[in-house]
Amino acid sequence: MLKIANLETVYSDVILALKGISLEVPPGMIVALLGANGAGKTTTINTVCGIRKALDLTVEDGSIEFEGESINDMKPHQIVSLGIVQVPEGRRIFAELTVDENLVIGSYSATNRRDFAQRKENVHNYFPILKQRANQRAGYLSGGEQQMLAIARALVASPKLIILDEPSLGLAPLVVAEIFGIIERINKQEDVAILLVEQNANVALAISHFGYILETGRVVLEGPTEQLRENKDIREFYLGLTEVGTKKSFRDVKHYRRRKRWLS
Amino acid sequence: MERVFEIIINGLSTGAIYSLLALGFVLIFKSTGILNFAQGELAMVGAFVCFTFASQLQLPYLLAFLIALGIGAVLGAFIDLLFFRRMVGEPVFATIMITVGLASILTSAAGIIWGHDVHAIRAPFTDKTLEVGNVVLTHGSLITVGVSLLLFVVFMLFFNRSLLGVAMRGTAEDPDTAGLMGINVNKIHMAAWAIGTLVAAVAGIFLADQSFVRLSMSHTGIKAMAAAILGGMESIRGAVVGGLAIGLIEGFAANYLSGAEVGGFHFGDVKEVAAFVVMIVVLMIRPHGIFGREKVERV
Ligand SMILES: Nc1ncnc2c1ncn2[C@@H]1O[C@H](COP(=O)(O)OP(=O)(O)OP(=O)(O)O)[C@@H](O)[C@H]1O
Ligand SMILES: [Mg+2]
Repeated sequence: MLKIANLETVYSDVILALKGISLEVPPGMIVALLGANGAGKTTTINTVCGIRKALDLTVEDGSIEFEGESINDMKPHQIVSLGIVQVPEGRRIFAELTVDENLVIGSYSATNRRDFAQRKENVHNYFPILKQRANQRAGYLSGGEQQMLAIARALVASPKLIILDEPSLGLAPLVVAEIFGIIERINKQEDVAILLVEQNANVALAISHFGYILETGRVVLEGPTEQLRENKDIREFYLGLTEVGTKKSFRDVKHYRRRKRWLS
Repeated sequence: MERVFEIIINGLSTGAIYSLLALGFVLIFKSTGILNFAQGELAMVGAFVCFTFASQLQLPYLLAFLIALGIGAVLGAFIDLLFFRRMVGEPVFATIMITVGLASILTSAAGIIWGHDVHAIRAPFTDKTLEVGNVVLTHGSLITVGVSLLLFVVFMLFFNRSLLGVAMRGTAEDPDTAGLMGINVNKIHMAAWAIGTLVAAVAGIFLADQSFVRLSMSHTGIKAMAAAILGGMESIRGAVVGGLAIGLIEGFAANYLSGAEVGGFHFGDVKEVAAFVVMIVVLMIRPHGIFGREKVERV
């Protein structure tokens, strides 16, 4: 469905952010893209979504294809109309607008306006709180509710692929669990593929089918989720588990740095 | 009592013109982040276009009016395309200076096309009056108030109910995220300029009915800006209330203060100053204007 091959991008003509990454999101699957701060996760999805001009980001090499069509040079709104919608990092809901108006904007790309009420109801089924808060200013929602609104706003466009950038950011574990449960349901019931960008490998690998590990602009590891969960390094470095299943202590961080070198 | 009533109606009809100009001003500012110092000049051009079609080419007034609105909208879209498309996100002082430059370009272009003479547009309602009891009201001021009210309602509905209107408000708040929602931000900015210039043309034509068509009528723009700032620069409601307030203040100041003598102190023509004095006082009490709020932010 989405196919990225040897993608190389630079910021401001000098900062090489992606050093040739390849990844694929097949239809109906949840694919996790994991990595630490600055690994290039957001850069990857901004490139896919066509947000280049505002960031002074250029594609040096490689290709991005969606359903067989090259989308390298498309504008953001053209990419949305193909069925790729992003839930941006930090949620970025329209704080001044009401919850309902946020959903209206989310549906902007849908050419069929008549079934909007039906799509909105469908979205309310996943996030009942948004129905209760329909006429409230979105800026006053809690962090978790704002994340729900951001996902709902993407879903109401009936996309083929939803790209989520760190949906767990800044949320309490219980809320994260709730939201990831809903993401999993959406994927199953709406027949929509999901590219899930996360730092929190634990929750991401719990619901995804396939995963990629990104480090400083390179894919260093990839595989089906079960394999990644069993991988000794991932257990140690990303899931924070040692062999006996206890949390790693800070003393091991140095060890991590040493080990990381062969990964990158 | 009759006098007060007349002052109110006349104040409201002048105020409606300020409100319309302020509305265009707020619309362009909210959508594109540009403070358009050429709003008064756009109104002046609209009035001249209407003058050309109604008086010089002798078309029916209503047709000339609609043509002027259409040309206004196209002019606005063209200005966006030519000057401001590439200025999105650039420093505020740069964009402001472009609008100041645009204002003088429009003035000299209008001077070349229409000359520096003073003209009048003859509308079907010019010089007609309506008497209610002892109160004399001109058709012109009633129509100005009526059409303006209608436009405000239309805009309220547009921005709160229609997809494009809501999209424009979202784009105003966060253009990057609007792009992520599939909104063509360039198109939205162009629509804002088109609508902003169209309402400026309406204002210019009504202003011409109350006085004349001439280059200097663009000075009204500065009062519209005061109205917009008074109202809070945020909303249609703010622009309307700000414009009407300034119109009323001017009306009362002109009738009761100008030329008055208080304790040996002689007031000159305070009409022009009164509105700004009130604006300054309001801003000192409420820096964000009457309806302005600080950004929604959870603490
Ligand atoms: N607008 C920009 N201009 C220049 N460099 C940038 C820009 N945005 C990101 N970078 C650089 O690109 C690299 C990748 O950043 P990116 O935002 O993609 O990381 P990330 O994996 O999303 O990190 P995080 O988990 O913190 O969001 C970093 O080194 C960053 O400094
Ligand atoms: Mg990021």
